[in-house]
Amino acid sequence: MAGRGRGRGGSNLSFTHDQLQALGIARGDNTSQVLIPPPLFPKLEAKPLPLTSDAATDYMLIVKDLFIEYLHESPAYVKRKTKTDGIERYSDKYKMLALDAKNNKVLDCVWANMPVELRPQAKRTQVSNRKRKFADQDAIDKRLLTLEKKENQDDTDETVDTAENEKAAKTQEVNDDEEIEDEQEEEMEMDDGTDYANNYFDNGEEYDEEDDNLDDGPVY
Amino acid sequence: MSHQLGRVVSAILQRYFGDIVQQVGSDLFTYGSKPIGMIVKTTGLARSLVIDSLRTLLKFDLATFEPSANELIADYKLIPDNVLLLIRYPRYLLQMKSKYGSEAELLVEELLQQATCSASVLLVTIATKYKDDKEKNITILKLKEMFISLVTAGYIQQAPVAELKEGSEVPTLVPVATIVPDIEIRPLIQAMSSGDTSELKDNIYWRVNYDRFHLDFRDEIMIKAITRRIDENAGELMRFLLEQMYLKSPAWAAESSPLCALELRERCRGLAAERPLLHQYVDQYLKVLEENGGGFVRRVGDSGGGQLCVRAGLAARELVLAALDHTVTERLGSKAARIFRLIRARKYIEEDDIQKNAMLVNKECKQLTYKLLEEHFISVQPMRKAASSGGLAKAVYLYHIKLHDVSQAAQELCYRSLHNVLRRARSTRTAHARLRDKLRRVRTIVHGMRLRGEPQRNIDDVEETLTPPELAVLQDVEKQLKQLSTAELELDRNLFLFKWYFMYPEK
Repeated sequence: MAGRGRGRGGSNLSFTHDQLQALGIARGDNTSQVLIPPPLFPKLEAKPLPLTSDAATDYMLIVKDLFIEYLHESPAYVKRKTKTDGIERYSDKYKMLALDAKNNKVLDCVWANMPVELRPQAKRTQVSNRKRKFADQDAIDKRLLTLEKKENQDDTDETVDTAENEKAAKTQEVNDDEEIEDEQEEEMEMDDGTDYANNYFDNGEEYDEEDDNLDDGPVY
Repeated sequence: MSHQLGRVVSAILQRYFGDIVQQVGSDLFTYGSKPIGMIVKTTGLARSLVIDSLRTLLKFDLATFEPSANELIADYKLIPDNVLLLIRYPRYLLQMKSKYGSEAELLVEELLQQATCSASVLLVTIATKYKDDKEKNITILKLKEMFISLVTAGYIQQAPVAELKEGSEVPTLVPVATIVPDIEIRPLIQAMSSGDTSELKDNIYWRVNYDRFHLDFRDEIMIKAITRRIDENAGELMRFLLEQMYLKSPAWAAESSPLCALELRERCRGLAAERPLLHQYVDQYLKVLEENGGGFVRRVGDSGGGQLCVRAGLAARELVLAALDHTVTERLGSKAARIFRLIRARKYIEEDDIQKNAMLVNKECKQLTYKLLEEHFISVQPMRKAASSGGLAKAVYLYHIKLHDVSQAAQELCYRSLHNVLRRARSTRTAHARLRDKLRRVRTIVHGMRLRGEPQRNIDDVEETLTPPELAVLQDVEKQLKQLSTAELELDRNLFLFKWYFMYPEK
């Protein structure tokens, strides 16, 4: 009799007929196994109530759309810098101009309330301006000319000794000096930037920035 | 801080601020608080983009920051509740427009757009924007007066001020008490005529006080509930009670301190001309309000003509219960709602008793009970009986409603459907992006032509580039989007109710 305490011969694996009936399952109710997943969008059992629509709701909808539109136009809507797909188009120039104009705007915030790392760093746009000044053909020509003149004067100084010439040379020299001084001053100003430009500390974040290029693959 | 909340927050950020802010926002949501470097690492975005997104989030008060352990860099943290408020902005504006008129609406609208702004810049921007609008007739003087009255009423408050603690590089934002400002009008007019706002030296910043608006919404809900339950005079009485409550107890108190009925009577006497019935039957109205007002008002004493207190906490509970009843009815039908009400009335009830009392067919009753259980509207508490004579330990299963948990579940439902609505609107928008773009372009061209006074024939030509089938599709899409947008607003109403209920601790 051992092991035969409850039910006999493995009948305890499933419910008996009586038990099933007690649960409310009649004979033949047994549905076949479902092998497909349930539908992604099952049908609604009850139709939802209609939404209210009155003047107040309409007003709120309009206001909402306006607000979202405003945000999308403002620099708060962060976008990637525009990239081309490699195919040059005539319209690109204008599209890019319009987009970049939007991109370059900085969000208008109360900077004092922001952590230092979020404040706009003073951009070194002046540097590029200066470079262009030197790259300018006219400027180079002018400079070469003055230098040439100076050389000539040195040569002629010994032979010809007219007061006029000397005077002219002097003013030239003075001008040159001034120019050089100006440039030096400019350089000083540029390095100053604003307070925001100064990084007083090294927070160690730059440490792994160089790793960015690793994606290009190893160097063989 | 649930999964559903995260999905909603992410969808809202996408809708309002675009993909990149969304990425940063959901990253912050999942990880709690973290510094910029970590965000850059996990999102894989360029550092400048992350910085831009953080600026946006901080500007609109959707995130906060605090100095991290080394005091040099900041840890950023998302505020999901404030992100959800973005959907409520139109309601704030409606409130302003209906209560204070269009000047207040313009002020709040501009302030919501700017997030924080100094008073003078705010006034000058609005005044210049509507300078040529003869209809609205906006003058800077009127705006200034409205601004001051809004500040006095508490709808606008001073933004927190940054303070730099010693040894720390990261500022901490400290809230400051709002002082009603004294704005000089002359520099504003000068700035307006010169069109240059940089001259204005005004470093007191303002922002919208959401909490004040929420109080208004709460009062409105309570007054409306009483009005619908009893009548308009009772609603008016409720308004007086709430007004008195503001004077005597903290605004969000679950139960106000006792209010004197005598003062109420005086108020009503003042209104005798407008509401003669209220004046005549004020005592009866108070009695009805007490006995049949859903427990919003309770009599606490009889001295001084009767002492009453307003029970906002209980009101929130009652309203949430009503909302839940409604939800069950709409989702599972009226029979399920009957079972739900039965369980609520009995507090704890056995399954057999449900079948007996609900007057439903046994099988159906069981099915509905299980369905309610499955959707988390009810919960079950097993009670083990001590093994008695039979030898079998029999358990009794008691069904009951844990209101707090059920409300949580319902709130999750709201989040889920809000997310669904946003996603659906987004996919509709992207699917018809080309057509909508075309419509917009045609409209701008036509508008330009009208301004230039070109002949109607040319305008028609341009308008005809949109074919009738295209127009039909567009109309359909617009209708869908409008419906989805309305659904957002409705869901937000429910969310407000739940938030209000959760403000009071569970009993």
